[in-house]
Amino acid sequence: MSLRLGIDIGGTFTDLVTMDQHSGTISMLKTPSTPGHPSQAVINGIGELVARDQVDPAQISYFVHGTTLALNTVIQRSGALTGLLVTCGFGDILELQRLRLPDPHHFNADRPRALVMRRHVRQIDERLLASGDVYQPIDLQQCVDAARELQRLGVESLAICFLHAYRNPAHEIAAQDAIAAACPDLYLCRSSDVWPQQREYERSLATVINAFVGDRMQRYFASLEGEVSAMGVPAPVLSTKSNGGVMSAASAGRAPVQTLLSGPASGVIGARYVGELAGERRLLTFDMGGTSADIAVIDGQIALSTTNRAGDFPLILPAVDVSSIGAGGGSIVWTDGLGVLKVGPRSAGSAPGPACYGRGGTEATVTDAYVVSGILDPSTFLGGTLPLDAARAFDAVGAIGDQLGLPVVRAAEAVLEVATSNMYAEFVPALAQHGVDPGEFVLLPYGGAGPTHAFMLADEVNLRRVIVPPSPGTLCALGCLVADLRADFVRTIFEETSRVEQHVLDAAFDAVEVEARAWLDDQGIPVDGATYFNTVDMRYKGQSFEIPVELAGLVRDVADLVAAFSERYRAIYGYADPDAATEIINIRGTVVGHVPHPELAQIADGIGAPLPVRARDVRYRGANLSTPVYERAALGAGHAFSGPAIVEQYDSTTFVTPGWDVTVDRFGNLVAEAAEHGRG
Amino acid sequence: MAVDNVFLEIMKNRFQAIVGEMGQAIQRTGHTVFIKETADFGSVLVSPGGEIFAAPLNIGVTVLIGTPMDTAIAQVSHYDEGDVLIANDPTSTGAMATHLPDLYVWKPIFVDGEILCFAWTFIHASDVGGKVPGSISPTSADVQQEGLVIPPTKLFKRGELNEEFLQLFLANCRIPEQNWGDLKALIAALNVGEARTKQLVERYGKPAVQDAIDGVLDYSERQARDIVSAIPDGTYHFHDYMEGEQFGVGTIRIQLALTIAGSDIIADFTGTDPQVPAALNIPTHGKRGHWMIVPALVKYFKTANMAITYNSGMVRPIELRIPRQTLLNPDPGAATGVRAATMFRVFDVVCGALAQAIPEEVPAAGSGQGCIVLVSLLDIQSGARKISVVQPLCGGCGGRPAKDGIDGVDFSLGSLRNVPTEALESEMPVLVTHYGLRPDSSGHGEHRGGNGVELKVRIFTPHTMMTARGMERYHFRPWGLNGGTAGTTGFTRLRRPGGEWEEIGQIDLLHLDPGCEVHFGTQGGGGWGRPQRRPLEDVARDVADGLTSPEAAAQAYGVIFLEGEIDEEATRLQRATLFALPDAEPAQFDFGSERLAYEAVWSDDVHAALNAALQEVPATLRHFMRLQLIDAVRQDTDNDGDAAGRIPELLAQIRERLVMGNGSREAARTLVGAAGQ
Repeated sequence: MSLRLGIDIGGTFTDLVTMDQHSGTISMLKTPSTPGHPSQAVINGIGELVARDQVDPAQISYFVHGTTLALNTVIQRSGALTGLLVTCGFGDILELQRLRLPDPHHFNADRPRALVMRRHVRQIDERLLASGDVYQPIDLQQCVDAARELQRLGVESLAICFLHAYRNPAHEIAAQDAIAAACPDLYLCRSSDVWPQQREYERSLATVINAFVGDRMQRYFASLEGEVSAMGVPAPVLSTKSNGGVMSAASAGRAPVQTLLSGPASGVIGARYVGELAGERRLLTFDMGGTSADIAVIDGQIALSTTNRAGDFPLILPAVDVSSIGAGGGSIVWTDGLGVLKVGPRSAGSAPGPACYGRGGTEATVTDAYVVSGILDPSTFLGGTLPLDAARAFDAVGAIGDQLGLPVVRAAEAVLEVATSNMYAEFVPALAQHGVDPGEFVLLPYGGAGPTHAFMLADEVNLRRVIVPPSPGTLCALGCLVADLRADFVRTIFEETSRVEQHVLDAAFDAVEVEARAWLDDQGIPVDGATYFNTVDMRYKGQSFEIPVELAGLVRDVADLVAAFSERYRAIYGYADPDAATEIINIRGTVVGHVPHPELAQIADGIGAPLPVRARDVRYRGANLSTPVYERAALGAGHAFSGPAIVEQYDSTTFVTPGWDVTVDRFGNLVAEAAEHGRG
Repeated sequence: MAVDNVFLEIMKNRFQAIVGEMGQAIQRTGHTVFIKETADFGSVLVSPGGEIFAAPLNIGVTVLIGTPMDTAIAQVSHYDEGDVLIANDPTSTGAMATHLPDLYVWKPIFVDGEILCFAWTFIHASDVGGKVPGSISPTSADVQQEGLVIPPTKLFKRGELNEEFLQLFLANCRIPEQNWGDLKALIAALNVGEARTKQLVERYGKPAVQDAIDGVLDYSERQARDIVSAIPDGTYHFHDYMEGEQFGVGTIRIQLALTIAGSDIIADFTGTDPQVPAALNIPTHGKRGHWMIVPALVKYFKTANMAITYNSGMVRPIELRIPRQTLLNPDPGAATGVRAATMFRVFDVVCGALAQAIPEEVPAAGSGQGCIVLVSLLDIQSGARKISVVQPLCGGCGGRPAKDGIDGVDFSLGSLRNVPTEALESEMPVLVTHYGLRPDSSGHGEHRGGNGVELKVRIFTPHTMMTARGMERYHFRPWGLNGGTAGTTGFTRLRRPGGEWEEIGQIDLLHLDPGCEVHFGTQGGGGWGRPQRRPLEDVARDVADGLTSPEAAAQAYGVIFLEGEIDEEATRLQRATLFALPDAEPAQFDFGSERLAYEAVWSDDVHAALNAALQEVPATLRHFMRLQLIDAVRQDTDNDGDAAGRIPELLAQIRERLVMGNGSREAARTLVGAAGQ
């Protein structure tokens, strides 16, 4: 027997999913996270698997894990004391940022505080021109002196970012070599290595983040590999990436900045996998947890974005395009000075958590409203391992009801309606941003609360289909298991297309391809073939936002690039001007090493009609609905039922609202269709 | 049906979704750089009464609250379903439009044969004709120089495109295809807004939606009134200046008496200088809560209540009293292209008045400048000129009640991005040798102002031109508040090859040769609160970070450093000397010596007398006579200390001189407005 193991380390729980390589049988487990020593939860989890499922660690032949450690290090600003070397005259690159205030609408607006203090920035006498030619040679002694002085001030990590280093890395490499020789204990990284793309603030930021989290991540991956191997796991440790791929632990230690947004990316990868099993390639993912709800659009392919955010900061490395739409289960309910009902944006998170968690939270949350409405059963939450205190939920929501002049159950209903309208206000414009007609897409909810709220949201947005995956609460861990090896590389051209010489383009195409293929070889993971493709970022002259154009096969000729750009531009904006001057900004190369995926095991056929284990009253849209409750584990393939219905399982509760017909497919997905016409 | 407190929140969110989706439609399908890069467009929903009842906060222009649509709506005698209207004329739209490049396009949403509300959009078009490409020039003297003027006109009649109008419009633009592309984006957004609003009516019924439109407006108004009620009643006076010298219109005073009475605000700008023959005028028609006058108040409301409902109900409590023919309420036909520069100063004036009512809640003055530096190079091969933005130049914001000002950016340009040096240098053969903060430029205080920015650019090619429009606060500093000291003024320096740096002040257009270097410094914001209250560790942090020099720390805060650490004994002694009267109540504002010197001549009395005298002069001559009078007052040193009293006499002298020098005395009398005297 051979097992694949996927692990997703979240803030509260660490999720483990195993898949039998041959039978495709899935097994999952949740264990509390151990924030002080994150790898401990991994060890604990594997230990529990060994005990519960009689897993032999030696059978684990493939092991991918995702962690929010790097992201949390940035958000909590708990990384290394980091210094920065920049070109003379540009010492405030991290202070000025791109000038723009994130929220300029009030007097307390601020830009995010830089990760490097101004006193730890050193300006180096050197200068390259935009062509890459040297305007002023570098003073290497000054670099070494600066590094030594910063080390004396306690700096542990040093980022190097010189102007135009995306074009010519020579100065950065020379500085890095000189400093590495003089200060061997300094964690060093340079922008031309981390992400050689034009735009000095964004590139230096990526480099600084890498330096800020690098030392800690390198130690983490080293210790995890040691501990896992000591348990007898033979598989090399792989890490998930923001771009939806995976990479070796060694690569992750060198380029931890690439793991920053891996958490949401894994969920979307898992969602696509499940969707494809159910025959759906156009999905809207809806991941609702304690603090927020996130959505992504999958239109056959998973969309990547280069305008992402990591905590307070913009990130230009490609990452799966995920948008937050606000409310989570922990979002706090309140009324303003005029008595108007509000949900969020404050969240009780997991500590103190909703009132019904009984961990000291007294303010009503969305989760408390689920309990009062009858959607959640306090006794079966998380398989009964975290019984909820219904009385506290009623007290908290009741207090809101008193303020609104509503009985408690109607107050809970109002809370859920307002929460849904909050999501609606973010969801619908986000779909428009992607140019998506929601009617053509299937909603795929996951996360602990995703299936609980999905049908309420679908009713408002007028979505017609919903697919609830078998294990919504551990979809990220499943995503870890089915992700491919994947890496992106970039070279900036930045030239009016008519002036670009073919040999310059060819050199860039060659450079990214060589890097990409070398990266794949370096991973040391057997793959079932590899795909390589190029993308070119182009725009009309005078614009300052470019669009990525994926290139077919070996397209490299300037004329072909222009044609591909026109076609893509027309596809997005419904308009193109073939005669207008264009600019080529970046050449990108992406390599995907296909990891063989076992076929997911099919569930047994359901016999007869599904039998509800009980029924309870649920308040929804002004009515008290007598609602049958099914156990997910007891549902078999082909079972069918209609809303209102509740499906309970260990890691989530699904609330199917009236007007939906649900069938269970052979992989255990709940496939729901809006039955009647003119809903919403 | 009364709207309950749950339904209100739900509908507020649903309206928000509609305007957000409309904004996305514009962003996705618009064509010009203004849509793609600067997001200078808007999408809102408007009540039948002409008030914005929903506006997005995270896409497009988000300062539209208070745009008056009532006159524009009423200009159209009859609406049919499927009509789409367009306008850009400040006059006939009652100051809905405030300069010509902003094309407003709107559509009535009919339900059961009756207008429920309007979907409304605008886009800053990159060109609408006029004397210069881009249509905006500060030296435009009237609106006709600024492009094609469009009073409310049907672009579509019952769904049919008005081809004749469209062709006329496009024939008057330099970039017709792009403008038509942008208009199509707006129409797409209007259709989205219409469809979604009708779906909302299907879901909740027409009466409920109608009630909700009124409900959300009333809700926002109630929230704003709650905030205003907490402000002490009274009338608070303040004034500040535009520095219009570079456009030949002199120093222009903006004067405000801000009255708080219960939950009402009256902003009375009587005493503000006459309108000018440059594009700095703001057309407001004195409309209640006009969006170009109220941003400081709207920001204050949002600060006081982060969850305030973002619609025009918020500005209902704000009445404006602005005399006609003045800078903030010019007569029809005035040029208004760069009215944003004036809007920034109005922001400061409103803050200054508000600070007297609620000194603990208002920031000190910030940079107050929103200037865009452009460089234009000759392409040697083609002979064509290539133009690129070098940087938007803004300075630090003022110190704030709870914290320091923001370095390098003020609220005025808070939504603009800078230009990556790597991108600029790839596009243009220039070298940026320095782009960073300007240490020691901030005003001092318990919370210091934000530091300004420095930018140095070296030129390599012959026939290079540089323009920097909207430079302000080169003479008068951003003021300090509550004991905080004033910030610093901006500077421009030029070094020609082989020469020394020279101060060249505000610039309009610079001709540069190879080897020239230009150095800009922007304003540091004013300080907030007394410097002696600034925690020593904050002073030490700024010194360690190189934002405050040890000399400035000693001088302003009495903090003495020895080898990078605070020398406690020396500091104690220095502070004992510096702050000998620790409890003396400081003046509320520190304007800096430059403004004090100016006002030694141009006191309130003299200024009032000047404007009173000008009231006798026909409006057409007012600006000319104003400049003549200003000169005369400056030269009139023998006034026995009663400069104000001398003004009528000086005016009479000017008139007499003009009349005497003219061949036809009768004609001249008429010309100088002196007939009958």
